Amino acid sequence: MREVIKLGLILLLITSVAAIVLGLTNSVTEDVIQEVEAEASKEARLEALPQADSFKQIDEDIFSKIKEENSKVVEVYVGYSGEEVVGYAIKTATPGYGANIEVITGISVDNQLTGMKVGSHQETPGLGANATKAEFQNQYKDKSTDEEIVVVKTPPSKDNEIQALTGATISSNAVTDGVNIAREIYNSILAE
Amino acid sequence: MGIFKQFKNGLINENPVFVQLLGMCPTLAVTTTVIDGMGMGLATTAVMLGSNVVVSLLRKVIPNKIRIPAYVVVIATFVTLIGMFLHAFSLDLYRSLGLFIPLIIVNCLILGRAESFASKNKPLISFVDGLGMGLGFTWALMVLGAVREILGAGSVFGIQLFGEAFKPAIIMILPPGAFLALGVLVAIFNWIKLRRVKNV
Repeated sequence: MREVIKLGLILLLITSVAAIVLGLTNSVTEDVIQEVEAEASKEARLEALPQADSFKQIDEDIFSKIKEENSKVVEVYVGYSGEEVVGYAIKTATPGYGANIEVITGISVDNQLTGMKVGSHQETPGLGANATKAEFQNQYKDKSTDEEIVVVKTPPSKDNEIQALTGATISSNAVTDGVNIAREIYNSILAE
Repeated sequence: MGIFKQFKNGLINENPVFVQLLGMCPTLAVTTTVIDGMGMGLATTAVMLGSNVVVSLLRKVIPNKIRIPAYVVVIATFVTLIGMFLHAFSLDLYRSLGLFIPLIIVNCLILGRAESFASKNKPLISFVDGLGMGLGFTWALMVLGAVREILGAGSVFGIQLFGEAFKPAIIMILPPGAFLALGVLVAIFNWIKLRRVKNV
């Protein structure tokens, strides 16, 4: 009995030290992480909607309406060029192979997809993680918002098709789901 | 054993991948490209250096009966620390390593070295052991990654090697390709080793 208590206390000591070290590190890195993530999101928005030179978060009333329609939407930003609204950057989180995949879709006011960026994800390196590569993301560029985007496994023959990543159909579908959600939200709410 | 010999031991004689067959999960899972293999290998090396030194320093404090949970706590702490620092100060690297980082905790190579070496030796030699084993792990993963990337994607370090006419064997970057490539490489490595022994 006494030995059990002794062993337990030693283990408690080791885990406490570990917890303190981790807690201290977390308090140092937490703010920095938020900052760099916010900076990265800003850059991703600019890449998704290159026409815009500044972004503002969308009006709260409209955002809650969007959330009601589809809860997978995380953020919606309105893109401005000077004073004029040029489009929207819509961030969605859709379930991939590992965890949720964040996708930022840019849509211009003339009903075109202007770009797509994959943000944080936990897809398999070398397979699903290739969704972050430009060759894959550029497939979504300049597509019309009128038609649903479809994933195919062969080189695409129609305008609304994109080619799946090799060996990563689930990731490709998840990313495309994100783009399609953004597209639907644009068509049903933002375009009006 | 001298310091240099200990270093070479992990690098070649007892190479974690080709001889000890340790850490097979990350070895098979993340070696689809050379870069990924290198990233995983170096991250594992960093964790092993830390855990080997701490386990070695605590070798007289940790009772035998609870050594495994104690080692796992030490390893998990280092992995989490490295994850947080990378996330804060090197977002690009953090993004590309992604899933690798939490995977390091369950790498039996690190636990294996803590158990079989660091817990019985002084900190300096444990550090050298971690360095040798870590770099041995890294180069093995890079070779495996290179074979799979060349055959499966036709590139090395992301640079295309062949023209349009080359049709890559996609199976090599899928899980079965990992087993095929590893099996052949282990065979070649051991064949070379055996020949060297015979010649001496």
